[in-house]
Amino acid sequence: MPTSVAALAAYQSKDFKSDLKPIWCPGCGDFGVVQAIYRALAAIGRAPHDIAFVSGIGCSSRIPGYTTAYGFNSVHGRALPIAQGIKLANPDLLVLVASGDGDGFSIGGGHVPHAVRRNIDITYIVMDNQIYGLTKGQLSPTSPKGLKTVTSEYGSLEEPVNPLMYMLAYGAGFVGQGTPADMAGLADVIEQATRYPGFSFVNVQSPCVTFGEDDDQVKDHRANMKSLASLGHDPTDRLAAMGLAQGYGTDLHTGIFYKNPNPPPTFDAQMRVRQAELAPKALPRERILDMFVQR
Amino acid sequence: MTKTRSIDFSKLGLRDALDLATIIEEEAKERYQELADQMELHHNAAAAHFFRFMHDVEVIHERKLFERRTALFGKEPRTVDRGMIFDIEAPDYDSVRATMTPRQALHTALAAEVKAFEFFEASLPSVTDADVRELFTELRDEELEHQGLVQKQITALAPDDAITTEDMGDDPVAQ
Repeated sequence: MPTSVAALAAYQSKDFKSDLKPIWCPGCGDFGVVQAIYRALAAIGRAPHDIAFVSGIGCSSRIPGYTTAYGFNSVHGRALPIAQGIKLANPDLLVLVASGDGDGFSIGGGHVPHAVRRNIDITYIVMDNQIYGLTKGQLSPTSPKGLKTVTSEYGSLEEPVNPLMYMLAYGAGFVGQGTPADMAGLADVIEQATRYPGFSFVNVQSPCVTFGEDDDQVKDHRANMKSLASLGHDPTDRLAAMGLAQGYGTDLHTGIFYKNPNPPPTFDAQMRVRQAELAPKALPRERILDMFVQR
Repeated sequence: MTKTRSIDFSKLGLRDALDLATIIEEEAKERYQELADQMELHHNAAAAHFFRFMHDVEVIHERKLFERRTALFGKEPRTVDRGMIFDIEAPDYDSVRATMTPRQALHTALAAEVKAFEFFEASLPSVTDADVRELFTELRDEELEHQGLVQKQITALAPDDAITTEDMGDDPVAQ
C-alpha cells in the first residue's frame, strides 16, 4: 500500500522526555522549547545514551533534568567549558548546551568567543528571556533599555547585548533563532544546528511570563515573527545575516541567519589528526618522565 | 506556521488518516495532563481539576479513534508518528498562568478546539481520498460541537471575582 508519509523515525520525542515534571511557571516559554528539543533529537535519530546535555544555572538550565540523555546541570556560566571537555573526552557524543541570556552572556560571557573560535562540535541553545527569572527579575545582558526591574526601578540605562551579532562577529559557523510560538520551526532550527559539523548557536526568544516585559509575548511572537526563509534570506551570506541580526530587539526573525557552506575542521577533528600524527613519537608510559629530564 | 511535517494530504489514505487523528488526540491528552500537573504544582486546584477532566475527554476520543482504526485495519503497522504533528489540538503552553481562573482554563480549552477545527478545515481542500474527506469532515464538525460544549460551560460559570490576577502584581521594588 503506498504511504503518504515518510518512514517512521527510530526514536520518538517521548523517548527523550524524562520522568521529572518541569517546575517552570505555567505559561513559560521554556515548555515549548523543551518540546522542540525532544522533536529535534527524535529527528536526528541518535539514542539517548549517545547524547549529553550540559547547562549552567537558571530556569533554562533545568532542561538536562527534563531530558533523557546524559545530563550535567553545572555551575553558573560554566556550561560551555564543561561541554567542550565532554566533547573532547568522548567525541562520539552529541553534545548540547542549554543556557539563558544571563548565564550565557553575562556570567559565562567570557567563554563564548573562545568556544566559537575553538569550533568544537557542540550546539549552544540559549533561552533568551531578557531577564534573570530564577532570581526574581533582575536586569540581564539582553534586557531592553528602559526595562523596569527590581534592579532598575526607574528603567534600565544600558543598551542590551545582541546575541546574534555577538555570535556572527565571533565567527560562529551556524547561527539561528526561534521562538516557542513556532515549535515546529524551532525544532527544525535546533535539528539543523545539531547536524552542523562545528559550533552552532540557537537563540530562542523564550518569554518569562512572571518577570518579563509583557504577559503576552508569545502571542506577539505569533503575530509578528517573520521567517528568514520567507524573506528570501540566503543563509550562506554572513554579511546579510549581520544586517538582519541588527534587528534584534525590534524584529523577530526566525530560522537560520548563517550557515557556513564550507565548515572548517572542528577542534575535535584536528585534535584526532594531531594525536594520530604524534602517536609514533609518543613515549611509553613508563618513560613519560623522560620528557622533563634535562640532558 | 507549519503544523505537520512529511505528510502529503493529497495522498493520505484512511488508515494513516485515522492514525493521524489518533495522535492528534494523544498530543492533546498529554498536554492537558501536563497543564493539570502544572496547576497542581502551583496549588490551583480548580484549573487542575478542569484540565484533568479535559485529559479524560481526550482519552475517550483517542480510544474511539483507535478502536475504529483497529476494526478496519487490524494490526497493520502505523506509519505516522508524533514527530509529524505540532500542537494541532493541544492547548497552547502560553495560554495558562499559575493563578488562572476556571473561566480562563475553559477559554484555553476553547482556543484548542478552535485550533483543531481550523486544522481540519485547512487540510480538507488538499485531501483527495473520499473516505479521508468524510473522516476529516466528521472530525471538523465534532470540533465545532466541542466548542459549543465548552462555550456552554463558560456561559454557565459564575462571573469571575472583580479582583483579577493583574491586581496582584506589584511594581518592581529595589532589593
